[in-house]
Amino acid sequence: MFERRLYYHIDWALLAAIVALCAMGLAMIYSTTADPTRGTSRLYVTQLYAVAIGFAAMLVCLAFDYRTFTDKSHLVYIGLLLLLLYVLFFGSVMMGARRWIPLKLVNLQPSEFAKLGVALVLAKFFGENRGAPTSTDLAIAGALTLVPLALIAKEPDLGTAVTLIPVYMAVAYLAGMRMRILGILCVCFVLAAPVAWKFGLKDYQKARISTFLDPSADAKGAGYQQIQARITVGSGGLSGKGFRKGTQGQLRFLPVAHNDFIFSVLAEEQGFAGVLVALGLYLFVILRALEAARLAKDRLGSYLVLGVLASFTFQVIYNITMSAGLAPVKGLTLPLMSYGGSSMIATLAGFGLVLNVRMRRFTN
Amino acid sequence: MALLEDRRKAGLRLSVLQYLITIVFSALVVSFWVLQVVEHAKFEEMAENNHQRTLALRAPRGLVFDRDGRVLVENRHSYSISIVREHTTDLNRTVRLLAAVLGVDESYVRDVVDRHRHEPSYRPITIVQDATLAQVAAVTARRLDFELPEVRVEEVPTRRYPDTMAAHLFGYVGEVNDTQVAEHDNLKSGDIAGQAGIEKVYNALLMGEDGAKRVVVNSVGREIRTLEEDEPTEGKRLQLTIDYDLQKATEDGFKAADEAGLTKAGAAVVLDPNNGDVLAFASEPAYDPNAFAAGIDRTAWASLNTDSLRPLQDRAVQGRYSPGSTFKMAVALAGLEEGVITPDFRVHCNGHANFYGRQFACWNTRGHGSIDLRHAIEQSCDVFFYTVANMVGIDKINKWATLLGLGVLSGIDLPNELQGLVPSTEWKREKMHDKWYAGETISVGIGQGAVSVTPVSMAVYMATLANGGTRVTPHLLKAVDEGDGWKPVPPPPPQSRIDIDPDKLQAIRDGLWMVVNANESGATGGRARLVGYDVAGKTGSAQVISNQGRIAAGRTTKDLRDNAWFVFFAPRDKPEIAGVVFLEHGIHGSNAAALTRHILDTFFAKKEKRPLPPPPPDFHFNFSDPYAHLTARPAEGRN
Repeated sequence: MFERRLYYHIDWALLAAIVALCAMGLAMIYSTTADPTRGTSRLYVTQLYAVAIGFAAMLVCLAFDYRTFTDKSHLVYIGLLLLLLYVLFFGSVMMGARRWIPLKLVNLQPSEFAKLGVALVLAKFFGENRGAPTSTDLAIAGALTLVPLALIAKEPDLGTAVTLIPVYMAVAYLAGMRMRILGILCVCFVLAAPVAWKFGLKDYQKARISTFLDPSADAKGAGYQQIQARITVGSGGLSGKGFRKGTQGQLRFLPVAHNDFIFSVLAEEQGFAGVLVALGLYLFVILRALEAARLAKDRLGSYLVLGVLASFTFQVIYNITMSAGLAPVKGLTLPLMSYGGSSMIATLAGFGLVLNVRMRRFTN
Repeated sequence: MALLEDRRKAGLRLSVLQYLITIVFSALVVSFWVLQVVEHAKFEEMAENNHQRTLALRAPRGLVFDRDGRVLVENRHSYSISIVREHTTDLNRTVRLLAAVLGVDESYVRDVVDRHRHEPSYRPITIVQDATLAQVAAVTARRLDFELPEVRVEEVPTRRYPDTMAAHLFGYVGEVNDTQVAEHDNLKSGDIAGQAGIEKVYNALLMGEDGAKRVVVNSVGREIRTLEEDEPTEGKRLQLTIDYDLQKATEDGFKAADEAGLTKAGAAVVLDPNNGDVLAFASEPAYDPNAFAAGIDRTAWASLNTDSLRPLQDRAVQGRYSPGSTFKMAVALAGLEEGVITPDFRVHCNGHANFYGRQFACWNTRGHGSIDLRHAIEQSCDVFFYTVANMVGIDKINKWATLLGLGVLSGIDLPNELQGLVPSTEWKREKMHDKWYAGETISVGIGQGAVSVTPVSMAVYMATLANGGTRVTPHLLKAVDEGDGWKPVPPPPPQSRIDIDPDKLQAIRDGLWMVVNANESGATGGRARLVGYDVAGKTGSAQVISNQGRIAAGRTTKDLRDNAWFVFFAPRDKPEIAGVVFLEHGIHGSNAAALTRHILDTFFAKKEKRPLPPPPPDFHFNFSDPYAHLTARPAEGRN
């Protein structure tokens, strides 16, 4: 199953960039959560475990031909739906949302894995077709995406739910969806926005969006995080305040600095230089993965790569924009850097699939 | 073929994605460049404001010592509890909780907060000054639980007056008001500054410079660490001319007068006649300056203001009273120096005299017979001084009284001194738009009529007679320590200087000596006699109301008893001490003389390093009111 020659086709550069990003994330988590009086932070250690498990998952995803996974994708998909349903009814509640399945060591967040499941099932679905997908195809694929999306949105975890949309769009787009339909879909989303605003969003979500438009209107409340995010990033300057020398993140002016706003802390402590490095690494990872999609030996492979990459890219761009206070605050983590075990494991597993596709581009 | 076409199209679409993503990332780079490099300064400042606070460290005021180096005013530590609204999300909740924790009315806390609502939110609003330890403990405990993160407990130096004495001299401190902030560049809102007494006059010296501490705070306002600390500079130390022991002796006398039921009100000023050093200074009734030190509460302030005895009034410099017989030396000096009379000039007193068709009575209706200046002073013969006043004329009396310090400001270094009045034709014309009638001069001759004096001006008057004509400026500041040892403050220059003919002056001094030391039983000032020290003095009993008025007002509870004066210096020929004791409604000048004796006894005992005399167990006050029969009130059997 893991032939020796495959070893030479592993994209070591991509892997190195991923490892570098994980390391930066760990460093930032350490910086924001370490308590000098108590030594190493618990969160930092947890994240270290998550990274280790993540790389193990990556290895598993590399070990078998990706077609093995896509062939079983319907099972994976059904299993995921069951997990999501289980979460809705039996999940543990934290911070007002029912998102987690408590396990012994960590809390499992099935919604993070839903992205992979959807990517697999869509790759399989579009990969079996030939030529441009018909409207029926698009509708079926849309339904396949919407079911988990609805379940996740119900938790509620709108942020994660929304990341499924780029997966669908990206795979459909690459599968040759007509540009006209793509346009229509985009118009639909725009039209759906007011309806969603009225019926779909909770008050706190509305507040976040309206304060984004005018943060100073509510400087102590919802606008606070956004203003603080900008201050955090802006005060970093060219070279940053230095590791663990940030004031915004260290003194908790910025909430959940180790999680949603980890990039702000990076910008504060490492400055524009650190931002350039991180952005460069992310861009490299994304472009390199797109390269894998181009090199894939079959449509299935490139769809799979793009499906995995779509939610990743969306989250990276959105989170970084938000970190600079340039987008409404939303509970979206920064893949590879933010604290969060499920996200880390799912992301690394996803990149396992990406590496897998590239690695097996010459096999049959 | 279709497969290849597919691949080509897919490749194209991937390229589109690549470019799109690259563009988005470039946009992100530009955004971060703008935030982090272009607008860096702005955000850096905002970040610093976020996490740095500058806290004022209140400077202790300078200590105040007496002329022997004894501490008169010092500082103690007190705790103040305040709210910083900057990070408060729910001010109502904080107010409610804090009121409950402190055990005070919620409405009170709300009022205080409302009053300071418009100040910048980083400025603490002091809710409780001088909090009790229980309050401090309660708040501190809640703070640790993050329940009251916006409430601060600060240790602040607070004024302490260890002996509740000389209240009007020390004055008191209080938070500056808006007018003071506007008038003085060195004062800012929230400062504690002197509001009366030397605390006010020497505020600039006493205040010191507040320090500051820059601290790092976290998002809930909790102090994490100190960045830099600028230590406060303590105010300068002042040494006063006041003699603690003499001050105490003076106040002990007033205390005795109060306890005996004679009077609660009065004033005393004791000077060194040679340079104007104020050795003792009292105004009764007084207040407790300590009550102001940490912010006086409203009820206490209201009661001080509504008290009919007006304890906030500094009678020594603001009380204006008729001098009565104590004015006679000014008339005598005017007559002597103007050449109108000689020391041997005699007047025949048969108990009354006629001037301008009106009868003027001597206090001794039996008459003094033929009497010269010395004896006229000794026995306070009214007819003698009516006659001299009539001969000298009002403007000459005004001239010499002024040179002796009456009717003018003494220039003492205390705030809000009021000017007494010695009438003149010019004054009458300007203020009353009327001419002076010669008949009015007669009453002035015995210190009645329009004449009014402040106790401090009486002290200057006696000092001038004692030193031979130099109108010294009474002053309280002896030395200042600016951190490098005591530097004496030169006494202020005299207000005026004349050379009184020694022979003429001696006649007056002799008369004053006889007032105290004459062997005859009628010596009015005999109560001030101190054998071997040649005390010279003069009593005065000034009516506060005319006899007709007395009858009319007799049915009210108003105190109509005479004011009692005793002015003095000692020893007669080489005076070292001069001054005045004034008892409001003290009835007889001799009662004031009794207080004076204890002061002089203390002064000389201290000078000669004898043990200080304890206050006499009884001052033998004379309670018999000569006018009691005129009022409906019974004599009240106080003896």
